[in-house]
Amino acid sequence: MIEHTLEPRQRELEERSRALFQGSVDGLDMATRSKLTRARYAALEAAGASGRRAWLARIPIWTSAAGVTAAAVLGFALWFGTPAGHHGMMSADSQMNLEDLDIVASSDENSGDAMEMLQDDIEFYDWADKAATTEPAA
Amino acid sequence: MPRFATLNATWMVWGGPAPAPEGAVLEQTRELDKFLAEIERRAFRMAQIALRDPDDALDVVQDAMLKLARNYGARPSAEWRPLFFRILQNGVRDLQRRRTVRKRFMTWLPGAKEDPDNEAQDPLDNVADMAPSAPERLMQDQAMQKLEASLRELPARQREAFMLRNFEGFDVAETARAMGCSEGSVKTHYSRAVHTLREQLGEVW
Repeated sequence: MIEHTLEPRQRELEERSRALFQGSVDGLDMATRSKLTRARYAALEAAGASGRRAWLARIPIWTSAAGVTAAAVLGFALWFGTPAGHHGMMSADSQMNLEDLDIVASSDENSGDAMEMLQDDIEFYDWADKAATTEPAA
Repeated sequence: MPRFATLNATWMVWGGPAPAPEGAVLEQTRELDKFLAEIERRAFRMAQIALRDPDDALDVVQDAMLKLARNYGARPSAEWRPLFFRILQNGVRDLQRRRTVRKRFMTWLPGAKEDPDNEAQDPLDNVADMAPSAPERLMQDQAMQKLEASLRELPARQREAFMLRNFEGFDVAETARAMGCSEGSVKTHYSRAVHTLREQLGEVW
């Protein structure tokens, strides 16, 4: 604050000018006071809005980063979460299962049920199996 | 002890510090509102003395409020006052600079010899207020007008130093921070301002 080791005339000037200034501040008209209040509210509102916009602008970055992270975690869990040595089997098994499902689910009107077809040709398959096993020996 | 414990919490988010809780934000806004309400009239008068025009003064004050709230609202409230007045003084200086450039440009234009600042002034502004007022009030107004006129005659830095130290009650260090100069410069500017004002007003006061 103002030092008190000043000459009396200087101190008088300071005190008087300070009092006059404060008087002019207190005597501001209502229109100016109202404008200042509105300016203050506008400044606070704008500052708050810009803060919110800044956070909204960051959301796409977060979502994309979160998506990449989630995909990585899911991939990691699927790969290392299955028993060792079953990764190759899994694709083969799933392919066979899908074929079985196709056969069971097929409902071709002309050839009848797929299971019945298998039943009818059982003798043929039996012969084919035997022929395949005996052929290398011959 | 995990190594991550030494990392700053802001490392965990992208693009800046995490938002403060809603309650804290409300409290901060309330505090900022209180601070601005406390200083806005003095700031306006100081800007008006420097710029002479109330509309320009209002613009500069509003701009300073906005910049403080937007850029420094999260700072400790103890830092707001010097920061605000620094922004305000910069705004006043910018406007005065623009006026000077405009004035120089206008002198080059044919038929535009008049000062645009004077054009903007309403002659009725200089007419004394005829509303009945106490003689003491009238004397005070006259004394303030003389003080304002003398302050306007001062170089900008001297005026800033005088107003910040004397009207706003800043000490030397705070004034230096608000003016963006050394404490030695503040002392020099202030001393010269007081000397000049005493010479100009001493006889009248």
